[in-house]
Amino acid sequence: MKRSEIKDLIIRSLEPDAPEDLAKSLDEEGVSFDFSKGFTGRVLDAVYTPVMAVKREAEFLRNLNYAFYRIALTGVAAIVLLLLSLFIMEGSLSLNAFLGINDTYDESIVCLLTGK
Amino acid sequence: MKESYRQSDELELVKASLGGDKLAFGEIVNRYRKMVARTVKGMLGDSVYSEDIGQEVFIKLYNSLSEFRGEAKLSTYIQKIAINLTLNEIKRRKRFFSMFSQKGNDEMHEVEIPYYENEEKREAKELVDKALQSLEPKFRIIVAMRMLQGYSTKETAEILDLPLGTVLSRLSRAQEQLKGILKNL
Repeated sequence: MKRSEIKDLIIRSLEPDAPEDLAKSLDEEGVSFDFSKGFTGRVLDAVYTPVMAVKREAEFLRNLNYAFYRIALTGVAAIVLLLLSLFIMEGSLSLNAFLGINDTYDESIVCLLTGK
Repeated sequence: MKESYRQSDELELVKASLGGDKLAFGEIVNRYRKMVARTVKGMLGDSVYSEDIGQEVFIKLYNSLSEFRGEAKLSTYIQKIAINLTLNEIKRRKRFFSMFSQKGNDEMHEVEIPYYENEEKREAKELVDKALQSLEPKFRIIVAMRMLQGYSTKETAEILDLPLGTVLSRLSRAQEQLKGILKNL
């Protein structure tokens, strides 16, 4: 089925008097949903395992996972931007460039530090 | 204990599950997993977190099976649990991500489109996923019930505990929103 036909099917399926088999048609066109293989086994393990995982712990781990994902992505993006700007400004990614002393002579650093 | 529950009706399955029959509860999970997946994945997108919520739905069902009186269909009972847990998850995400993002919406999940041999089918799935995720949750749930589950407006109203008029007006607004969304997809 063409993209435009799928779009039409989606819109038509929301008509108040849309026939029930429209959902089936969508299913046949690949719009089907199911859980991954072994889902039933995992549910049964969770239900029938004597010591069920503490729900709070699972919740906390999931939150932590979300937070890590967001923070890690933002962090990586920030680091890449920082490196890029450093490279553009200093022309290299050396330690001196990091410290901002890429174009500074040793004497001027001594002078700067000692005040003489 | 029976060796197979494939032909059993839902009340028999519930009774056997309450008696500790793993096979009977396994049959319930197998029978309704697709229905739960349509609600959960339709609402949350195709991500690993949806699998977790799907599992929670059946765990909650197991823990509350003794409260099931058989007055309503088991599918309706499971559907309500799935909707509640999914909406809770959306609220939780909204709260959680509002700490990290000014948008504070519930769209912060990675949608994983499974592998399809047929490119057209993959595109269709992607299209529906994107369209659904672009809708507000209150419209998304109605669309998921109608479009993915094939429930009538009356059944949708019953499951969601909403007046029929509200369902109809949300459906019409969702349809308008979807028309706009689909134009750009």
